[in-house]
Amino acid sequence: MTLEWRNRVLVVIALGLAALYLFPLYWMYVTSLKTGSDIFATPPDFLPRDAKWGNYGYVWTSRGMASYMWNSIVIASGTTALTALLGTGCAYVLARYRNGWIDVALFLVLMLQVLPASLMITPIFVGFSQVGLLDTPRLAVILALTAKTMPFFVVLVRATFMSVPAELEEAALVDGNSRIGAFFSIALPLARNGILVSAILIFMQAFGEYVYSKSIIQSPTLQPASVGLNSFMGPNTFEWNNIMAYAAIYVTPILAVFVLLQRRIVAGLTSGALK
Amino acid sequence: MKRIISGLWDGKGFDIALVVVALGFLMIFAGLPLIYNVVMSFQKVDIFSLGTFARPFAGFDNYRAIFADPIFVPVMKNTVIFIVASIVGQFIIGFSLALFFTLDFPGSGYLRGLFLVSWVMPGLVVGAIWNWIFAGDFGVLNFALRELGLIGGNIFWRSDTNFSLWAVIIANIWLGTSFNMILLSVGLASIPRDLYEAAELDGANALQRFWTITLPMMRATIGAIIALGLIFTLQQFDLFAAITSGGPANSSNVAQYWAWELSFREYDFARGATISVLMIVLVMIASVVYVRSTRYEVRG
Repeated sequence: MTLEWRNRVLVVIALGLAALYLFPLYWMYVTSLKTGSDIFATPPDFLPRDAKWGNYGYVWTSRGMASYMWNSIVIASGTTALTALLGTGCAYVLARYRNGWIDVALFLVLMLQVLPASLMITPIFVGFSQVGLLDTPRLAVILALTAKTMPFFVVLVRATFMSVPAELEEAALVDGNSRIGAFFSIALPLARNGILVSAILIFMQAFGEYVYSKSIIQSPTLQPASVGLNSFMGPNTFEWNNIMAYAAIYVTPILAVFVLLQRRIVAGLTSGALK
Repeated sequence: MKRIISGLWDGKGFDIALVVVALGFLMIFAGLPLIYNVVMSFQKVDIFSLGTFARPFAGFDNYRAIFADPIFVPVMKNTVIFIVASIVGQFIIGFSLALFFTLDFPGSGYLRGLFLVSWVMPGLVVGAIWNWIFAGDFGVLNFALRELGLIGGNIFWRSDTNFSLWAVIIANIWLGTSFNMILLSVGLASIPRDLYEAAELDGANALQRFWTITLPMMRATIGAIIALGLIFTLQQFDLFAAITSGGPANSSNVAQYWAWELSFREYDFARGATISVLMIVLVMIASVVYVRSTRYEVRG
């Protein structure tokens, strides 16, 4: 009985803490449903009375969100595909061997993981403009972004491959499988979940990317939603309900994926970053 | 030739190819820019010499210009304040939450994971939401502070030079706290339970247990998290772009934003590259600390 009460009290406190911490998200959704004058009420209304769902449709068309969202999807998909394609094999090898060369490669990967994008964009931009990559700005962003996300992906997926016993592959080799066959038919399927979760994390990161897109992509028709959101927020803006509606449209797909796969994402993240 | 092909198919060649392709890509798109960055910081670069590699050598002129710039000192001061305040805030709140969630209760794992939402959101969205929370006349933060009696008049978070940097810091603490908490939780979970039981039998109270068991056992984790905090804080750009744009009057400008501004607002790529070089050196030092404190994990 006392244990039960202790649990109840703790759950209430935990819910309170979570509500406080997640209030900014709640406030985004509530504001996005208010009228342009309701948002300036004092005291503010904390409940979405008379929800204005029309804000969403209005923002979607008036800000041309279809194109922004499409570009975000293109950049995120391209980055995720390229990262997974190049990173999976690399992570696999780094997990399977242990010698001086592997240590060097691993150290390089870890070092590249930490380079801030806002500092790397200067040489990337100048270099890309010299080789003509700026003519295909979305591809340029995908290439630059993949170099940024791949180290993180390799670290996460390597942890997954390390949990796949090497004996299984050795058995497959004994049974007459080729090396390449053993990789594709044994190691890869067994590590599938870890790769998938890591790829989702990369997708989320690339979906919200800002610095590279802002600096490389000049044409508004090719810019992603993060850049679109920033140009929506001028210094003297007052359309906060519409801005919050924009933000809500942009972030809700990410939140949905996160809530659905929360356990796996948290587990994948912690296994790679440190243990 | 045949041996190479069969090696690629069936031996070590396959493994080497996998690594070489990935590392080759990284070298071209991360390694080369890194070197190019250093080269440009010693060159005279302007909009006309952008298209050529053969630019006039500038020696240490760019570095001198950066150090002599009147906003160099304030920007560096802001950078230090931003880093220290963000890390301290994220760490203290994150650690408190992590300790709270070690008290096992139904749903604790799920609720704890829910906090990580702040970390997967696009930085620009986080910035937009906090922009609205910080709004001067109608922001909900000022309303709450007024109701609590903490302030008499409204604080203009984004346009008051005394508060603009702190606005970004608050948003950054919110963003990073959850990640700190999750990693600290992992560290806390790896401390053997029987240590606590033994200490309890010996009559140690909760505070003593915290100081003599939890903190010493967490030393490696805490070192790694502080280093990661430094790395992530120096990567933070989106919140500056969304909330203050470094203003007003550079009162919230930090090195990583300044570098971008010089390159993409003033088109002074050489000086942008120079700050980048300086800051990247700092990040590298932090990451060596990080790699060292996770070395045991890295070597498996």
